[in-house]
Amino acid sequence: MLLLNSIRKSYGEINAVDGVSFEVKPGEVFGLLGPNGAGKTTTVSIAVGIITPDSGRVGIDGDHSPLDRTTREQIGVAPQALALYEELSGNENLIFYAKLQGLSGGKLTERVGWALDFVKLTERRKDRVNTYSGGMKRRLNLAAALVHDPPLLLLDEPTVGVDPQSRNAIFENILELKKEGRSILYTTHYMEEAQRLCDRVGIIDRGKMLALDTVDGLIDQYGGKDAVIAETEDGENRIETDNPIEELEKAQKKGGLLRFRVERPNLETVFLNLTGKQLRD
Amino acid sequence: MKKILALAQKDLKLLFRDKGGAFFVFVFPLLIAIFFGTVFSGGGGGSGTIPLVIVDEDSTAQSIQFADKIKSFEGSDVLQTDREEAVSFVQKGKRVAYIVLTEGFGQSRENLFWGDPTRIEIGVDPSRRAETAMLKGVLMANFMEGMMGDFTDPEKMRVKLQDDLGSIRESDNQEELQEWEKFLVKLDTAMAQLETNVNDSAAESDTSGAGTSWQPVEFEVSEVTISRDGPKNAFEITFPQALIWAMIGCAASFGISLVTERTHGTLIRLRIAPLNLSQILAGKGTACFTAIMLVAVILITIAILFFGVKPNSMLFLALAIASSAACFVGIMMLLSVIGKTEASAGGIGWAALLVMSMTGGGMIPLFFLPSWLKTVGHASPVKWAILTMEGAIWRGFTPAMMFWHCALLLSIGIVSFIVGARIFKMTVE
Repeated sequence: MLLLNSIRKSYGEINAVDGVSFEVKPGEVFGLLGPNGAGKTTTVSIAVGIITPDSGRVGIDGDHSPLDRTTREQIGVAPQALALYEELSGNENLIFYAKLQGLSGGKLTERVGWALDFVKLTERRKDRVNTYSGGMKRRLNLAAALVHDPPLLLLDEPTVGVDPQSRNAIFENILELKKEGRSILYTTHYMEEAQRLCDRVGIIDRGKMLALDTVDGLIDQYGGKDAVIAETEDGENRIETDNPIEELEKAQKKGGLLRFRVERPNLETVFLNLTGKQLRD
Repeated sequence: MKKILALAQKDLKLLFRDKGGAFFVFVFPLLIAIFFGTVFSGGGGGSGTIPLVIVDEDSTAQSIQFADKIKSFEGSDVLQTDREEAVSFVQKGKRVAYIVLTEGFGQSRENLFWGDPTRIEIGVDPSRRAETAMLKGVLMANFMEGMMGDFTDPEKMRVKLQDDLGSIRESDNQEELQEWEKFLVKLDTAMAQLETNVNDSAAESDTSGAGTSWQPVEFEVSEVTISRDGPKNAFEITFPQALIWAMIGCAASFGISLVTERTHGTLIRLRIAPLNLSQILAGKGTACFTAIMLVAVILITIAILFFGVKPNSMLFLALAIASSAACFVGIMMLLSVIGKTEASAGGIGWAALLVMSMTGGGMIPLFFLPSWLKTVGHASPVKWAILTMEGAIWRGFTPAMMFWHCALLLSIGIVSFIVGARIFKMTVE
């Protein structure tokens, strides 16, 4: 559905995107995981055609350029910056964006109603956006990306700065969109989100794609071993192992085991192992 | 086109919801027009004088005395000249009315009770009819004041009466003569008693039974056709200025709104939509143009209905406003690329527009500006916009003059828009 091949973009001496390639397959949620400044937003901007890459190729639904008008109608984007008019109501914002996508008449009314209902803002549809909470604005930002019913969605950090309740609501929305068969490119610096929502994840840092696979595949390749943390009277011991149960049995035989826990590797450890730094550094 | 209209509709909604912006676009220009129009009309407090011109064609002691009285009357600003110049002053709107003391004024004042009444001609600007009644009152008051002087000098009055009686006795209309003689004899008797005791307020004289009407002064009022080579009133100058302020307000508001689109992220979504940058800019320009035309219609309607503004040609005025609006849409585009933030765009934009307005006659009418500033003003689009609108209202532009002025404004607008749009495209891309 979306293909980026060897994309490069630099600003002076800074390589914002350095040879990034990936594909978002039909019906897939593809995560682009990386810290702030990794090049995620630049990659999304190149994917939708508002930044021209220095080299590389972008293809949508085959080999169509994102600059083609008909191709753009196939894309829905929720930018990281809230792209909403604060002095207009939620309803007016969606009507405006739907008109820009060429909708009119009954189809427009139906889609705006659907989008508001989807993000659970129907009751507040007539209120001006400047009266909304941060989470409600994020949900409306998502609705604006969906109002014209696009098969490809690019969601750039869609949960930044929202309360846990709205974050969960957005997760549910995305899972439902996935169920509907839409293709989604999802950028985030929260590894829990990538782990929970994404079929495949690309790990990006300093403009480079460091690794790309399913969540389990990444963990298997770069996550390292499970760790048993055993607390005894002498202190806490961390033992990395392929067989945590065996290690626990050994510790029990030694005696003096007070508490224990098993830590499984996750995307955070994958990122740590790949870059030598924490995801949120 | 539908997408451009959707963009324009959205921008107009945002303008109306921004109370500060809407005030500067819709209310402030109207206040400017009314305030300065009132001040320049002399009705803004101050002396509140009625500018008049008086013509003395009689040149007798009586007419000279009356003219002097009018000139010294509080509340009037009177210039004395000949008839031709007096008419010209009113035609050009420089004076509200002229007063002519025709030949025979002094004689008729002498024949107080006999002969034709004293005739005073008044020529008025038809748009100042309200002041005509007041003017008549002033003239009547001055005339009667002179008469009162005669009445309080019984000896002088008796001489007048004897003169009038002599004239009456020489007349042919016997029936009328008897009535007048009866009246004047009684009056003469009363005057004789008054002479012996001027302070005897109880002196009884029955003059009411004279049985004839008496009209000491007659006003002959004519309306002067206003020549269209000058403004008919101050509002014909202040309303074009108000329109300029509305255009400045629109250019500043929409210029800043384009910067806001950039800083608030909405421009990203516009650019991702199936639109090109030209359509986005066309939408902004359409909104700015529509807002200017809307406020122009409101201001011109108010000017015509309530402030006596009568454009020479409505078609020319529509063309002048549309060309000026297009010019300011282009200027808006240029302003939008000057600053990177709303604050800098707003500050620089307003500063640039105020300089244009100051040098172009948007603040002070062009004819009040010193000559060097008038020369500098040639570089200001405000000057050309005001001239073109005044050309349609009172300067009496010919079609050729209107064409060239409109063409100049459109050229400024198109060049500014293209330059601004190119810089904008380079910036966002």
